[in-house]
Amino acid sequence: MTPPALAVDIRLQRGGFALEAEFRHEHGVAVVFGPSGSGKSLLLSAIAGLRRLGGGRVAVLGEPVEDVAAGVRTPPSRRGVGLVFQEPLLFPHMSVAGNLRFAAEQAMRAGRSATLSMDEAIERFELAALLPRAPRQLSGGEKNRVALARAILAAPRLLLLDEPFAALDGLRRRAYLRHLLDLSREHGLPMLVVTHEIEDAAALADTLIALASGRVVACGPAREAMASHVFQSMLDPRDVGSAIPPSAFAGEVAERRERAVWLKADRVLLASERPRGLSARNIWEGEVARLTREADGSVLVEVSAPIGGLLARVTPEAASDLDLAPGRPVWSIVKTHLV
Amino acid sequence: MLTGEELTILATSLGVALRAVILSLPVATLAAWALSKPTFPGKSVLDAVAHLPLVLPPVLIGYLLLVTFGRRGPLGAWLEATFGVQLAFTMEGAALATAVMSFPLMVRAIRLAFEATDPRLFDAAALLGAGPWTRFRRLALPLAGPGVLAGAVTAFAAGLGEFGAVITFASNVPGETQTLPLAIYTALQSPGGEDRALRLAMMSFGLAVAGLALAEQIQRWARRRQDA
Repeated sequence: MTPPALAVDIRLQRGGFALEAEFRHEHGVAVVFGPSGSGKSLLLSAIAGLRRLGGGRVAVLGEPVEDVAAGVRTPPSRRGVGLVFQEPLLFPHMSVAGNLRFAAEQAMRAGRSATLSMDEAIERFELAALLPRAPRQLSGGEKNRVALARAILAAPRLLLLDEPFAALDGLRRRAYLRHLLDLSREHGLPMLVVTHEIEDAAALADTLIALASGRVVACGPAREAMASHVFQSMLDPRDVGSAIPPSAFAGEVAERRERAVWLKADRVLLASERPRGLSARNIWEGEVARLTREADGSVLVEVSAPIGGLLARVTPEAASDLDLAPGRPVWSIVKTHLV
Repeated sequence: MLTGEELTILATSLGVALRAVILSLPVATLAAWALSKPTFPGKSVLDAVAHLPLVLPPVLIGYLLLVTFGRRGPLGAWLEATFGVQLAFTMEGAALATAVMSFPLMVRAIRLAFEATDPRLFDAAALLGAGPWTRFRRLALPLAGPGVLAGAVTAFAAGLGEFGAVITFASNVPGETQTLPLAIYTALQSPGGEDRALRLAMMSFGLAVAGLALAEQIQRWARRRQDA
């Protein structure tokens, strides 16, 4: 059996804040999701070795890199753990090429070979034109690409990313997301991605780790963990929804490479009869599993359908007009452009 | 123009100051690097030792050097026996005294340069697999380079004017240890030497101002580079 990419069981204190986290990340992409101040960045720093643990252990691919009880502490530079910070942190006195070479040299010195060669990285992240430039001559999106390429070229065994999308606008966000998914799918590089954006979490996560006030409140396969009540209660009410695989959708959405699309409950329309003559492309037959009255008066309807469970939000009037009750057949309708 | 005697004094001053900078630069750089780190055992002791020459009377520094590095001092005797090097009353001795006196100034300038670098850059480098020596050599040093240079130039300019420690440890030997301030002192001691003293004073003043201006230029260039 292959060891998990990452096994964490740590305690650590910073000021009045206490982080206590235990989870295993077998392979693929794990997303650490939580509101700001929940300890996500601190967790990454601890795994990378930038902060000393108060207690517990961290193992990367089965190798303990820190174990307080056993007195083991591998310095950050020898853990084989890469970290892409929120800010790109490119070395200002080196060109883009110099930054990339620096990383490749460290990998070579450690005797590790990177997921991508220098040429492959330059091609994949479209860096050829940027190579001679100084970091200060790059746009925000370009800096992020260089930072990601640099992290990959250092040949990490595990890559940590702290809010990698924070500084990116819509289109660049999509492109960056695709890069991460490719790295994970084609090269099997295990990753741990911190985000507080539900769409990004759904798009990337094989495993979801939900963090609140320094504790893991939900952890497991992404779709189940995201459907759990404790996870949904962490979300802004307008973000409540469900993770649906792209293949469930009609048209171009089905072609998307994301693991799942986050379908907000507000965007789902319910019909008590098979709808006809509608422009909407996504119509799924299912039945009502549960009704929940929300604090704002709206009714949250859990529908079980062949594509999996999904959530729809309706007004109390609509719920009574449609005579919604557990077991009642319903059709869930979503416009393609709302996905 | 300058007389032959004045040229000798100038050459002695420049030679002493240059040797002093070469002597103290590596040590000051390492000390400044260590002091720019958040905390480590013995940091306050190192900090105090590095600043000691700033508060001790220069004559006392000269005396301490004489006791340690003089011909009968433990280190002085060893140096002479092993390498045949004699420090007391030589240009090398004057350089050592100057180096010790300008050490705090140099450490301070270099330390500021190290502290001006974003410490997260070192974290980023560590997480690419770079060990402490690589981080120092490839990041800390080049990024602080202008600050190190400015520190060296300031120390050089200050070294041209060191008096108390030099005269105590290395004495006042024309052509060997008689630097500008020592020559001014000598001129003032001799009857009718006021004119000579004035010319020497003006030379000394010019050199110090030029050094300071150069250091300031380097600092400004460094700031522009940091902001970019």
